[in-house]
Amino acid sequence: MILDLGTEAKEYGHEALRAFQAAGGDQLVQQAEAKPDAREALVAPVLEALGVWELDPRTDPDSAEAAAALCRSAGYWALPYPFAERLSRPTDLDVDGLVVVADGAPEGAVAAVEKRWAAVTLAGHRSSVTGQVAAGSGFVAALELSAIDNNGAGDVALGLVLPCWTLLGMLDRAMELTIAHVRLRKQFGQPLASFQGVQFQLTDAEVERSGLDMLAKYSLWSLGSDDALDDALALRLAAIEAAEVVFRVCHQLHGAVGFCDETTLSWLSRYSQPLRRLPMGLSATRDYLTRRLARRGLTGLYG
Amino acid sequence: MDFDMGEKATQLRSALRGLIKTHVPDDFLGAFTDDPADLEVAQRFCRTLAEQGLLCMSWPKEFGGRDASVWEQTVVREEMWAHHEPRGAQYMGVNWVGPIIMRHGTEEQRRQHLPPIAHGEVIWCQGFSEPEAGSDLASLRTTARRAGDGWRVSGQKIWTSYATMAQWCFLLARTSKEEKKQQGLTIFLVPMNDPAIQVRPIRAMLGPHHLNEVFFDDLKATDADVLGPVGGGWSIVQDVMSFERVGIARYARCERLLVAAPSVLGDRWEDVPAELRGRWTRMLAHCRRARLLAYRVVSLQASGRIQPADAAAYRIAVTKLDQDSAEVLMEIAAFMPRNNAGAGPHVAATEYFRAEVEDHWRYSQASTVASGSIEVQRMLLSRALLAVS
Repeated sequence: MILDLGTEAKEYGHEALRAFQAAGGDQLVQQAEAKPDAREALVAPVLEALGVWELDPRTDPDSAEAAAALCRSAGYWALPYPFAERLSRPTDLDVDGLVVVADGAPEGAVAAVEKRWAAVTLAGHRSSVTGQVAAGSGFVAALELSAIDNNGAGDVALGLVLPCWTLLGMLDRAMELTIAHVRLRKQFGQPLASFQGVQFQLTDAEVERSGLDMLAKYSLWSLGSDDALDDALALRLAAIEAAEVVFRVCHQLHGAVGFCDETTLSWLSRYSQPLRRLPMGLSATRDYLTRRLARRGLTGLYG
Repeated sequence: MDFDMGEKATQLRSALRGLIKTHVPDDFLGAFTDDPADLEVAQRFCRTLAEQGLLCMSWPKEFGGRDASVWEQTVVREEMWAHHEPRGAQYMGVNWVGPIIMRHGTEEQRRQHLPPIAHGEVIWCQGFSEPEAGSDLASLRTTARRAGDGWRVSGQKIWTSYATMAQWCFLLARTSKEEKKQQGLTIFLVPMNDPAIQVRPIRAMLGPHHLNEVFFDDLKATDADVLGPVGGGWSIVQDVMSFERVGIARYARCERLLVAAPSVLGDRWEDVPAELRGRWTRMLAHCRRARLLAYRVVSLQASGRIQPADAAAYRIAVTKLDQDSAEVLMEIAAFMPRNNAGAGPHVAATEYFRAEVEDHWRYSQASTVASGSIEVQRMLLSRALLAVS
């Protein structure tokens, strides 16, 4: 049993974390929000320097680990770029990236990133993205699609797993910021951290974050197996739940300042939304996985 | 990464399931029942495991074990708990009493106590908690005072599992008052058949014989009964805790029951509301999460890099899983028909499943209290997160 990413992947993730910081860190998402068209220009140089586009996560497990570590680092800084989507591109289509979409209302956080996008539904129906209509905050665009084929079932799992790693990076950062805040902020003459009510909320959030960390690793390892999609959906289910708990606790413990744009939590929280809502939110994800599982459990000790 | 436990662990799992199927009755619900036959099943099963070298496989070879890998030990924990712990009370002797005696005992204590544990012949209980010392264990009041060249022990223990069936007690008592309450504590290994020891079972919703009070009325003990140095009991307690970091594999029974539910319900599974089936799915994901967190603890412990907070996060996740899954299973079990006409394997399976679920629910109520309450786990975890003392 090897329960952690390889040394090279972890080092790559650390290198990316430093590179994103040097490129602007928390400022990147703020600059991108002011000028969405500049997203590509803001991050492309640092991604090139990291050799991101040489990764091949669909065919090489080491690349998949490196891609996951990169996504986590990108989440830490709320990097304003559809990084996981780019890395999820299928090998058999001549496209730059893949967006997993819901049936009926296809959307993706790819607004203003002019690339050749493909889309795939959970059932494996693949399409070309032929147009975008800005649909809301978080760089989300409604996608206009043109059908390609129904051969994308094998494309979906990676397209679900990598965004969960990005979300995990956001939870890492939210916890880090909140721990720093409660150690510094004093009320009634003592740091918030000294109150057991504060401590216990943090532990509940940490259980969610650390549990997601393990599930993310498991689902990454499972890519390519027959269970990959079930495992990716189970991961996504846990990721959305974890995000709900962690961000709620982090906002609560930050108090009013956490809603202000001068705090990073405000940015992380709102930019976590596309990751949590697309292609499906908590209830729809749970419902879809339940229908897939039917009468069998997830593969495990008894399933 | 590689989440495969390996071929040896897979073979061991298969062997254990085979033994359980052969030697444990289909309607077994653990040794804690009013039927003495259930205790006998557990005692016999331990002897069977011992004969096949599977009871103490985690022990070093020099003490009759197999030096089993941590993953083989994990498989044993999972399969035993998933099937209502057919080792009964003896799991404690195997898991930590024996290893602690190996580590801290004299040659004479090792000779006396290790073979009966290894042969599946003896039950131990743990005399730690007291009415005024639960989570705050070091505040205990049971005293052992010097009397000639021996000791006299007086006091009361409570919540002592297996005390009605145990032959020996691993007893923590105060032997002196020191500056810190963690000092001046000593471990004694005492026989439970001494007339100075009285056991009073406490009837409880957890089931018979789980909880007991144990009274020590001027119990005579000798220096030969002391484990480790006099006054050095607290460090041994810490050592005991380190063996119990992963604890029972609660997630394994949760998963087995959840996975079994649809087939036991048969066509009635379709009557289960979609919302409840969604909660079933959620619990399956939480089972996996708890299992992976357990594996992380096992891995960290094996590498010697574990911190108390690493185990705490797992303990919080698994005890909440135990309770949450029990609620879901109780609700699912309500969709099973009662008073089935006739008899037959399916009716028996349905009734047994309902009994298993109820047993799981009852026992799960204590999961956030027993073996270190969830509040203590939260304190450990938050202390690490916030680096406060």
